[in-house]
Amino acid sequence: MTNILETFSNGLGISLVVFLPLVSAIFILFIPKTQEFLIKITTLGASVVTFLLSLIVAYQFDYDKAHTFQLGNKLSWIESINSNYEIGIDGISLPLLLLSTFISVLAIIYSFEHLPEPVNPKGMMSLILVLETGMNGTFVALDLILFFVFFELVLLPMYFMIGIWGDRTVRSVAGLKNEIETRLYASIKFFVFTLFGSAFMLLGFLGLYFRGNKTFSIPELIELGTSGAFTGTFATLVFAVLFLGFAVKVPMWPLHTWLPDAHTAAPTVGSVLLAAILLKLGSYGFVRIALPILPEQAKAWAPAIAILSAIGIIYGSLACLAQTDLKRLIAFSSVGHMGFVMLGISSLTSIGINAAMIGMVAHGIITGLLFFISGSMAHTYHTRDMGRLGGNMKLLPKTGALLGFTAMASLGLPGLAGFWGEFMALLGAYNPLSGLNITVFRTSMVAGAIGTVLTAGYLLWMLQRVNLGEPKEEWIGQDLHDADNYELAAWIPLVILTVLIGVFPKLIFGSTNDAVINLVTKAFGG
Amino acid sequence: MEAEISINYLAISTELIVIFTIVGTISLDLILSKKSKYLVALFALAGSLISFIPIVFQWANYSKAIVLFEGSYVIDKFSIILKGLFILITYLTFLLSINFIESDSYYEGEYYFLLLCSLLGALVVASSRDLLTIFIGIELASGPMFLLSGWKKGDPKSNEGAIKFFLLGVLSASLILYGFSLLYGVTGKIIFAEIVASLSATGLHQSPVILLSAILILAGIGFKISVVPFHSWAPDTYEGAPLPVTAYLSISSKATGFLALIILFTKVFFESGSSWGVILVLISGVTMFIGNLSALQQTNPIRLLAYSSIAQAGFILAPLAVAGITGNYDEGVYASITYLVIYAFMNMGAFLVVNILINASDSENIYEWGGLAKDSPITGIFSVIFFFSLAGIPPLGGWFAKFVVFRSLLSTGEIFGLSLGVVGAINAVIALVYYARISKIIWMDDSPAGERVVTVPNTLKVVGFISLALTVLAGIFPGIFSNLGEASAIFFSS
Repeated sequence: MTNILETFSNGLGISLVVFLPLVSAIFILFIPKTQEFLIKITTLGASVVTFLLSLIVAYQFDYDKAHTFQLGNKLSWIESINSNYEIGIDGISLPLLLLSTFISVLAIIYSFEHLPEPVNPKGMMSLILVLETGMNGTFVALDLILFFVFFELVLLPMYFMIGIWGDRTVRSVAGLKNEIETRLYASIKFFVFTLFGSAFMLLGFLGLYFRGNKTFSIPELIELGTSGAFTGTFATLVFAVLFLGFAVKVPMWPLHTWLPDAHTAAPTVGSVLLAAILLKLGSYGFVRIALPILPEQAKAWAPAIAILSAIGIIYGSLACLAQTDLKRLIAFSSVGHMGFVMLGISSLTSIGINAAMIGMVAHGIITGLLFFISGSMAHTYHTRDMGRLGGNMKLLPKTGALLGFTAMASLGLPGLAGFWGEFMALLGAYNPLSGLNITVFRTSMVAGAIGTVLTAGYLLWMLQRVNLGEPKEEWIGQDLHDADNYELAAWIPLVILTVLIGVFPKLIFGSTNDAVINLVTKAFGG
Repeated sequence: MEAEISINYLAISTELIVIFTIVGTISLDLILSKKSKYLVALFALAGSLISFIPIVFQWANYSKAIVLFEGSYVIDKFSIILKGLFILITYLTFLLSINFIESDSYYEGEYYFLLLCSLLGALVVASSRDLLTIFIGIELASGPMFLLSGWKKGDPKSNEGAIKFFLLGVLSASLILYGFSLLYGVTGKIIFAEIVASLSATGLHQSPVILLSAILILAGIGFKISVVPFHSWAPDTYEGAPLPVTAYLSISSKATGFLALIILFTKVFFESGSSWGVILVLISGVTMFIGNLSALQQTNPIRLLAYSSIAQAGFILAPLAVAGITGNYDEGVYASITYLVIYAFMNMGAFLVVNILINASDSENIYEWGGLAKDSPITGIFSVIFFFSLAGIPPLGGWFAKFVVFRSLLSTGEIFGLSLGVVGAINAVIALVYYARISKIIWMDDSPAGERVVTVPNTLKVVGFISLALTVLAGIFPGIFSNLGEASAIFFSS
C-alpha cells in the first residue's frame, strides 16, 4: 500500500489525472454509437475518477512547501532536443488543476440531456475528455515543449465543439461576400487567432532554449531567469512573443475579438469550458512562464499590461451595456473580468498575483455558471435576445433565482467569490512593485474602480431586463421547462463553491500565497 | 586490363532485390493472361516488402559507412533510413493503386514496373557520391513518372499535365547536366570528394563559375521539388495524373529531389554556402507564401494538395537554406530530413482521404463534400488526423516536423534564420485555414445529396492505419526520430 502511494506521489497521480480522460476518450470511440447511455456513464465515470484522483493529489500536496514543485516526476521524452516529460504542481497550479477536473465533471453531467443539434453524445463526450487532458496537462507541465503540446491540444476539440454543435444562425460578416453560419465563422476565428499567438510563442520558447543552456525545463529556466540570464533585445523579443501567445488566450484587449464570437456560437458546455478553463491557460502562462523567467522584461512591460488591462475592463463593461444578446453580454463580461486578473498580475506584487489567482478560480466558477444558465435559457426560450426576454423569475423561478445569485457574484458582491479578485487587484494596482510607474498604475486602478461600477450597472440592467418585470406576451401559456435535475446537479455545486470561496478565501490563498510570495521575492525581490 | 573488382553484394542487396522485382514484374506481365494480372500487383508488393529486409539488417549492422566503387556509392545509416522511407512509400502507393488501377482499363503490369523503376532511381540517389551516378538516379526516378502521370489516356487533362511535366522535366535535366558539366570542366573529376579536393587545391570553390554551376543545379532540381519559381507544372500534372501517382509524385519524387539537393549542396558546394544560402532563403520564404496563398483559393482537392505540397517544400527547404549561411549543416539536414519523413506519411494519408472522398462524392469540388464524415466516420477521423497534422497542430506528427525546422532556423540567432522563422510562423497560420476547411466541410456542413454510401476498401484502410500510426507516434513520441540525428551526423562524418 505504501508503495502504491509512493509511486502515486512520484508523478503517477498527476499523470493519471492528465491521461485518464484521454484514454477513456479512445475507449469510447470503440463503443457503438447506439449505446448512448453506456457512453455517457463511462464518460461521467472517467471524469469523476479523475476528479477524485485530483482530490487525492490535493490531499497529498504539502501546503507548507507550496512554493516548490511537488508530486511530480521527470522522465526522458524527446532526447534529441533535451525535452522531458517533466511534471509537478505547486500552490499556483493546484487550484487551477482542481477547477479543471471539477468543471469537467459538471460539464459532462449537463451534457447528459442537453446537447444541441446534432446531439451525438459519443462525439461530444470524447471531445470533452480530450479537452480535459489538454487542460489538466497544461497546468502540470513543467517543460516548455510539453506545455506547448498540451496548450495546443485544447484547440482541436474546442474547434469541433463550436463548429459542430454551435449556433446555426446565419449572419453576415464584414469582409466576407456570403453570409455564413455563426458556428462556422466563430470556430475558425478561434482557431486562427489562438494558433497565431502560439506559433510565435513557440519561437519564443526556442529562443529561451538556445540562450538558456539548451533546456526546456521550466524550473531550470526560472533559476536562470531570476539570476539574470536573459537580457537585452533578445529578452524583449522573447517576452513580446510570449505575451502574444498568452494574451490572445486570456484574451486581453485588443486581441479579444475572437472571444465574443466563440462564446456566442459555442454550445453551452463549450462556452462553460472555454470561459472557466481555457482562458486561464493564458493568464496561467503569464504567472508560470513569462514573469519568473523574464522578470526584468516583466517589469518593463508591466505598465503596458496594466494599461491594456484597464482598457479591457472599461471596454468590456461598455460593450456589455451595448449588448442585446445575453450570451454575448456574458462573453464581454469575461473580457472585463480577465482584465482584473491581468491588472493584478501586472502589479507584480504578491497581493496582485494572489488576486489574479483567486480571480481566475472565481471567474471560472461564476462565469461558468452564468454560461450554464444562459445556455439553458437560450435553449428554453429559443432566443438570447434580452429585448424579448423578461419576467424570467415568474416563468422559470429556479433558473431565475440562480441567475440573480450568479449575477450578484459576478459583480463582485462582498461575501461571494468574485469580490476578492477585483478588490485585491485594485489594491495591488494602487501599490505596485516599487520602481514601477505609480501614475500609470493608479490611473489603471481608478479605471478599474470605474469598471466595477459599470460591471454592477450592466449586470443589474441585465437582471432587470431578463429576470424582473412581467413576462412578455409571447411566453404566456407556453410550456417552458425550468431547470431539471441534471442542470441543478451541475449548477448547485458551483453555487456552493461561490459562497465557500467568498467566505473562506483561504481555500485558495492557503495554496497560492506561499508560491506567489516565493515567485515575487525571487523574481522581483519585493 | 584486368582489374579485380570485389563487390559487397550484401551492401547493395536492396537495390538488387528491386532490380529482380522489376524484371520479374515485366516478365510476369508478358506471361499472365488478362484475368490473372492481379498477380503482378502481388508480386510487386511482395518484392517491395522483401527489399525492406536488407534495410533492417543494414541498419542494425552498418555502424560505419560502406564505400563502394571507389567512392561513388556509399551505404551509411543516412542512406539506409531514406531507402527504407522510399520503399515504404512505394509499398503504400501500391496499396493505394490496386483498386484504382483495376477500376479502369489501365495497363496494370507496366504500371508497377514503372513505379519500381522510379523507386530504384530514388535508392540510387540516396547512396550516390558522384556526378554520373546521381544524375542517373535522378533521371531514373523521374523518367517513369512522365509516363505514369499521363496514365489516364482518355483524359485531356492527364495528357496536358504529362506533356507539361515531360517538357519541364527535360529542361530540368539539361540544366542539371549543364551545372555538372561546369563542375567537371573546372575540376576534371566526377567523384564528389575529389571535386572538393580539387576545388580547394585550386582555390576555386568560391569562384563565379562554381556558383553558376550551383545555381543551374538548383534550378534543375527546383523543378523536381516544385519550389517557386519552378512550381507551375505541379498543380496541372497532379490534377491530371492518377491519384496514387500524384501521391507518389508529391512524396517520393519530391523526397528524391530534396535528397539530391542535400547531397550535392552539402557534399560539393558546402564552401560557397553563404552565397547560395541567401538564394535558398528567398526561395523558401516565397515558396511558403505562394503555395499557401494559392492553396487558399482552391476548390479542387488535388490542386489544393498540390499547392499545399509546394508550401511544405518551402518548409523542408528552409533549414538547408539557413544551414548554408551558418555552416551548421548537421542541424539543417537533420531538420529537413525529419520534416521530409513525417511529411511523407501525413501527406500519404491526406491523399488517401482525398481519394476516398472523391470516390464517395463523385465530385472533385470540396464544397460538395458536405457531411461525408457522418457517412464514413473512419474517413472523418483520418481527415482530421492527416490534415491537422499537415497544419502542424500538436499532438499530431506535423508539429514536431515544424518544431525541428523552427529549431534549426533559430539555432544561431542569425538574422536570415530569424526572418525565415517568422515567415514560417505566419505561414503555419495561413495554412491552417485551408487544412481546417476540409474538416469543416465534411464534419460541419450539411450533406447536399442525402446519405451516401462510402466504401473504404481494405487496402486503403491498411494505408490509412499505417500512415495514421506513424503520424500519431511521431507526434507523441518524437524521440523515435533521434535516429535521424545520428544518421545525419554519420552522413557528414563520412
